[in-house]
Amino acid sequence: MRVLIVDDSSATRSYVRAALEGESDVDVTEAASGFEALRVLPRERFDLMLVDINMPNINGLELISFIRQSETHRGTPLLIISTEAAERDRARALSLGANAYLAKPFTADELAQAVRGLLDVTRGLTREKST
Amino acid sequence: MTARPRRNKNRPSDAPPDLRAERETFVRTFLHKGVELTEDLLRENQGLEAEARRLRDENTRLRAQLASNDAIRELLTTVEALERERNSLLNRSDELENAARQTEARYRNVEQELNDLASLYVASFQLSNTLSVRRVLRHLCELLEQLIGAQSFAIYVLSIDGKRARLLSGRGKAADGVDELPVDDASFLDACLTGVPKIHELEERDAAAARAAPLAVLPLSFDGEVVGVITIHELLSHKRCWALVDRELFKLVCAHGAAALIAANLYEAEAGPRAALDGVVAHAAQVAQSLNPSEPGHPVVLATKRGQ
Repeated sequence: MRVLIVDDSSATRSYVRAALEGESDVDVTEAASGFEALRVLPRERFDLMLVDINMPNINGLELISFIRQSETHRGTPLLIISTEAAERDRARALSLGANAYLAKPFTADELAQAVRGLLDVTRGLTREKST
Repeated sequence: MTARPRRNKNRPSDAPPDLRAERETFVRTFLHKGVELTEDLLRENQGLEAEARRLRDENTRLRAQLASNDAIRELLTTVEALERERNSLLNRSDELENAARQTEARYRNVEQELNDLASLYVASFQLSNTLSVRRVLRHLCELLEQLIGAQSFAIYVLSIDGKRARLLSGRGKAADGVDELPVDDASFLDACLTGVPKIHELEERDAAAARAAPLAVLPLSFDGEVVGVITIHELLSHKRCWALVDRELFKLVCAHGAAALIAANLYEAEAGPRAALDGVVAHAAQVAQSLNPSEPGHPVVLATKRGQ
């Protein structure tokens, strides 16, 4: 499984990498900003994207909008990870096309659960569409 | 000779009728008695036959009962054995269930420890992978913000005499406060004196806020000497309690934060990593020789010899 983590905090990126790479067959690509993510996205495909909201220049919400308009990535499951846990932030991210929301700080177990739940849901939707 | 009186011409057959009747009566009676006896014997025989049949039946019934009792006894023995087996299986099942519960708890603990290790690994890696003061501070801030969930905090370093704490970095209101504080300030005096982190339970956060006291005071120590302090004043609103790993992270930050800052500060004066190592061989040799004056001083040789 290929995962893209977009977060300006290297601590979070390293933590997500450490937490997810414990799962089998997970390959994590890091982007330290929205710009970096925009450079990576046209070249690569991912099974899951984790995006922080608060980032300089291109913030997470702008990045989500871009991803959801992209022909290649519009169906990729998208998990928001943010220190902002207010309901309006959550609602805004979800309305822009994010699939789930995880407030920081989170444990590796919470992250793994969120990722599994998200992948299960999106796989179910894909199966429904194909049948 | 005297002639004997002539007997009656009547011979026995010529017995008087009453004797004949008597004989007939006797014979009849005899026969009657014989018939009666025979009938009695027959009846008795029939009774005995009936009794014998009854006894045979009884015997058969008793035999059947005995067989049935044996079967019941066998069944009861089997039932008892099965009962014992069932109890033993139930006990075994209980044991296995307990073992499963223990394994599950152990698994959860190991998983928790692994999760915690991920945080600690990241924190340790972040603090030790740079020698730039700016990056060390950035990493400290990120660890406090992203892994612990601190929203308002300040990082202070102590003056050489240890009496003043100067603000180095931070986030939120705590970093907008005064730039310098006396170390005898109540908010971090204890931590500075003891070198032990002071962490308030988050249930007390309202009380702490009312006193304007930090939720946590983390002394940054090196070589047993407190050289700085981190104060955490506010956490993200959704963080309700300290996690176990937070306390481990505090310990790690207290132990490694000071060393990372000192190393980065010293390194700032150097022209690069190789320049920073200039003279390290001579220095190590000098140290080795001071530890063992009889050996001519080459640190690598000495280290190898000691390791033998």
